[in-house]
Amino acid sequence: MKFIVSSTSLLKQLQAINGVLSSNNTLPILDNFLFEIGKNYLIISASDLETTISAKITIEAKEDGNIAIPARLLLDTLKTFPEQPLTFDVNLKTNSIEISSDFGKYKLAGHNADEFPKLPTIESPASIVLKPEVLVDALTSTLFATGNDELRPVMSGVLCEISPDDVTFVATDAHKLVKYRRTDSSADELTSFILPKKPLNLLKSILGNIEGDVKIEYNKSNALFSFGHVNLICRLIDGNYPNYSAVIPDKNPNKLVIDRATLLGSIKRVSIFSNKTTHQVKLNIKGSELSISAEDLDYSNEANERLTCEYKGEDLKIGFNARFLIEMLSNMDSEAIVIELSTPNKAGIILPHNEDKDNKGKEVLMLIMPVMLNT
Amino acid sequence: MTDNEKRTILHMDLDTFFVSCERLIDSKLNNKAVLIGGVSDRGVVAACSYEARAFGVHSAMPMKMARQLCPEAIVLRGNSATYTKYSELVTDIIKEEVPLYEKSSIDEFYIDMTGMDKFFGCLSLATELREKIMRETGLPISFGMSGNKTVSKIATGEVKPNNQIKIERGTEKEYLGPLSVRKIPMVGEKTFRSLCDLGLKRIHSIQEMPMEMVSKVFGKSGAMIWKKANGIDNSPVVAYRERKSISTERTFDKDTTDITKLTGIMSSMAENLAFQLRRGGKLTACVSVKIRYSDFNTHTLQKRIPYAAADHVLIPLIMELFKKIYNRRLLVRLIGVKYSHLVGGAHQINLFEDSSKMMDLYQAMDEMRDKYGDRAVVRAVGMGTKSISRFNPFDGEPPPLLPNRRR
Repeated sequence: MKFIVSSTSLLKQLQAINGVLSSNNTLPILDNFLFEIGKNYLIISASDLETTISAKITIEAKEDGNIAIPARLLLDTLKTFPEQPLTFDVNLKTNSIEISSDFGKYKLAGHNADEFPKLPTIESPASIVLKPEVLVDALTSTLFATGNDELRPVMSGVLCEISPDDVTFVATDAHKLVKYRRTDSSADELTSFILPKKPLNLLKSILGNIEGDVKIEYNKSNALFSFGHVNLICRLIDGNYPNYSAVIPDKNPNKLVIDRATLLGSIKRVSIFSNKTTHQVKLNIKGSELSISAEDLDYSNEANERLTCEYKGEDLKIGFNARFLIEMLSNMDSEAIVIELSTPNKAGIILPHNEDKDNKGKEVLMLIMPVMLNT
Repeated sequence: MTDNEKRTILHMDLDTFFVSCERLIDSKLNNKAVLIGGVSDRGVVAACSYEARAFGVHSAMPMKMARQLCPEAIVLRGNSATYTKYSELVTDIIKEEVPLYEKSSIDEFYIDMTGMDKFFGCLSLATELREKIMRETGLPISFGMSGNKTVSKIATGEVKPNNQIKIERGTEKEYLGPLSVRKIPMVGEKTFRSLCDLGLKRIHSIQEMPMEMVSKVFGKSGAMIWKKANGIDNSPVVAYRERKSISTERTFDKDTTDITKLTGIMSSMAENLAFQLRRGGKLTACVSVKIRYSDFNTHTLQKRIPYAAADHVLIPLIMELFKKIYNRRLLVRLIGVKYSHLVGGAHQINLFEDSSKMMDLYQAMDEMRDKYGDRAVVRAVGMGTKSISRFNPFDGEPPPLLPNRRR
């Protein structure tokens, strides 16, 4: 079996799907790309059993055939070629592959394509269509807030809730929470599922330069994202997501309005002086003055900054992990933000201060838990 | 000469500190054999007067044995609060007189006098300081002066009690040579025995060996021993040491298998240490429990955890470890709890597991303890156990030494 393919277009697709390969696979076959050749098309796939991603490219081929090709070897070779047609000559009996370029010939040993795990099919799927930029925005806004605790696998993913009115993405690690809601997308049925972090990160990086819509098909166990020539299918995280809406306070009485970039800059600077492991900073709000301070007793480091803000409420001292604040503030795009607080031991809410309604149909709510300060 | 070679380090050590304090309070104790330490059969000698030492008593010896050796000795339980108070008096005087000091224990100080020669003369300044301490507090104190901490400390130990010495630069090796290797700080009972087995009884013998040979036998610490034996020690005088761990332990007067009592004590130790963490603004990332059976077999078990300082996180963890480690249905002699890998910070409240009510409760309890003492509020399970803790571990002072650790 023979086929001819452009070196750069092959490399581009392989690099896009390469992210799914992990360095410590349980099955050796997963260190390979699966090549499925049909009439003038080639489908390449990579999988880690949880997630399988495949891309289709057009090639010149006369015969059908499937082969698994070692990923590392192939990628390393392709990276060195300038744009040129490459001829792949595959012996399906011995699984040996010979690549011919303008410079010479390269032989490598492949594997039987039948060893490659079969792609799960999604039976009786429901589906929803999203714009790629909406999906990327949703993922960027939520992924950072997912947890890493192996004991709580549900919190390592992003919850996706679909209803006739809206689509909502939620992520939390129990210290911070993000709720990202779109009212401009919806589906007929009410469903929810938890998407794992790894394929979402992969999606986020591939989706950047895609035109056309992203179609998500899902059932109880799997979800399939299809866009352009790419299909990504992943297993959903099984389990019950914590009841997040019960823990989001809706009546925090103390409201602070401040310029986002100014606050972010201050917290970045001050937190350099906080403890290197715990990154804790103190916010002290008095009247219309917000002071941010941090100290690291081990090195006698100390910092204090004062900002003016709009504040309605009681004077308040509250402590936060600065890294959470920095992540949240850098993942918002509004010019000003509202911080809604209650008492020093209760959750704080960060919302965009939307005077200009550029982001129609988009609602973001970020929640941050404080640290228990000594009184 | 490099900077390290022209240092002047003074080591000051209060002579039989606990006994001296007791004698200030009760002059009847003067010139008598005095033993301070646990009075029960399990007790050990924390301190003893020179009169008692004449009978062969030394600190860390079981009290029972000490009493047999010296029947006429006056035995006192001792009071760590009193000693801490006197220790602070001495600290205050030193703080006033010198630029840089390190309080390495309740009765020992290192003072960096480098550069003072230009104006005062180190020896005369040190002598004046010593006289001032004795005049103002009435406590006898000795010092050794040299170019580094090790030599000064060894020298102080040699000239005690109530004396002073200066080891001139360049004569350190000569001075250390005839002394027993046991005098080197960091050479304990075990290392001493191994050194003796190698025929190394005098520091002189180590000085003559190449460093590589000593480190071959003792590994990394071998090189340290060799350096110290040669009077080399570049360690600086550090004014303030951050605590790396806090711990507490309890030896029973009588070995026990009473599981209710054991878990009660475990829980209240875990609770008290957690309070100490919160008061000091610290979080722990490693908890461990220790158990010693009546046959002196000692086990410890530790676990790395996400940073925490909350009772409801730490107490169950300690209980879980204790359950795992106490599986031998044997009489227990000692149990202990330790929190280590400390960092500065406060408890990160969990969105799902912590309620703000619980956080308010912690703050209210801690405030009461701050005001009315560590045991103002405790969990019912720990009520029966006697006082577990008595000091704030994060005030920059060295921990009061446990009697069984003194030597």
